[in-house]
Amino acid sequence: MSPGTDFLGRDVVSARDFKRDQFEQILQGVEDFEKHHGSLEGAQRGKLAALLFFEPSTRTYSSFQIAAEKLGMRVSGFAGPTGSSITKGETLHDTLRMFEGYGADVFVIRHSKMGAARFAAEISDTPVISAGDGSREHPTQAMVDLYAIKKAFGHIDGLKVGMLGDLRYGRTSSSLAYALSNFDVDITFIAPEALQMRPEVIQLLKQRGSTPKKESALKSVAKDLDVLYVTRIQKERIPDPTEYERVKGMYEVNLEALRDAKPSLKVLHPLPRVDELSTDIDETNYAQYFVQAAGGLPLRMVLLNLILGGVS
Amino acid sequence: MPEGEADRMLVSRIEEGTVVDHIPDWRANTVSRVLRLDKLARMQADVSVVILQNVASRHLGRKDIIKIDRWHVDEKDADILCLVFPTITVNYIDEGKVSKYEPQVPDTIEGRIRCPELNCISNTEREPVTPRFSTLKKESLLQCRYCDALLAFASVPEYVRT
Repeated sequence: MSPGTDFLGRDVVSARDFKRDQFEQILQGVEDFEKHHGSLEGAQRGKLAALLFFEPSTRTYSSFQIAAEKLGMRVSGFAGPTGSSITKGETLHDTLRMFEGYGADVFVIRHSKMGAARFAAEISDTPVISAGDGSREHPTQAMVDLYAIKKAFGHIDGLKVGMLGDLRYGRTSSSLAYALSNFDVDITFIAPEALQMRPEVIQLLKQRGSTPKKESALKSVAKDLDVLYVTRIQKERIPDPTEYERVKGMYEVNLEALRDAKPSLKVLHPLPRVDELSTDIDETNYAQYFVQAAGGLPLRMVLLNLILGGVS
Repeated sequence: MPEGEADRMLVSRIEEGTVVDHIPDWRANTVSRVLRLDKLARMQADVSVVILQNVASRHLGRKDIIKIDRWHVDEKDADILCLVFPTITVNYIDEGKVSKYEPQVPDTIEGRIRCPELNCISNTEREPVTPRFSTLKKESLLQCRYCDALLAFASVPEYVRT
């Protein structure tokens, strides 16, 4: 089987849909690409990427745009609802149909509704890549996250991974949990009860033989972790403002919070951060989030190239 | 009063239609909601529905029965019903002849139940999307095809599309 066969023309709508060897194939592809930098320049020349961002995005939109352009593709679409026909009430269905008519070779879609990516994949023959759908999933971010972990440790199996913050509504956390369920890792979800991981994620992890632990505070588990994946707790998600004030300090990651952590601990964050991740971590060996962010572009180049029929 | 006697006394036999039997006692209204009988009755002027409640039953002690005159309940609706009430039995009557249908827990359900997750694409009015669920039989759960949200079998009546 050639390296690209598994991905040729396929949709990327959920990290649930990918198996270990497929994640490994992508990670290997990115590693090879980084070793031979520039080898994919122009590899998909003349093809059209339609970036349809029904929800505003800067970082993910830009990384897909630059990735497509580096592959030599033309890019069309919109980076948010403002100024697009979405504000006039055009549906996802009709927008897809229209861009199919324009000859799009791949769709990259961000949408506020959960499951929008799966619906898009269902109605379109063109491959669909989810760039985030509501609070459900962000599968390419999970690939970026896996790559950052692999880069730090050289392996993923055997690690103890803590995921902290708003796990219930954080789309990157659920995708990463699905992705990690293909590996032999020990997962701990660290969040206040109201923001703990969604039942369907826990359900699938258990189905796959993983038994994730739940904790309400970082302090009790920090010393055991190899990876700490931090996400922001959004004020508006907690109905009681006094409850928010009570819990927010418990989920701030700074040097004091990591006092008992292993020296080899790596802290990841999908960025952007607000105040949940202190800048005093930035210059320490714990900080892996800038390396993680830098992986976004090569990973999306490799992924687009594989889907469109290139080899890694 | 022995089983069968009570409902025979209260309501005469139907020649054409459906009898949903072995409904747990006092739960007939929930069955009616899952089968959307109020809608049926509005649409079909000659359909009559009789609900018997708290009738003696050999198997259940007490049970409810629904008799629908001149209407055959869709088998797919009966299958959904069996997620909530595994004891139910469905009898179809044609020209006085009774044939039993044994409802089965379906592998998938399309278009009959809405997703419990309000922000799911399948709850978006203007998108042409049909709600679809797969059944996790061992766990007694339904799972939305689009957003992966889980719905307990017991909660299905709350989410039946009207």
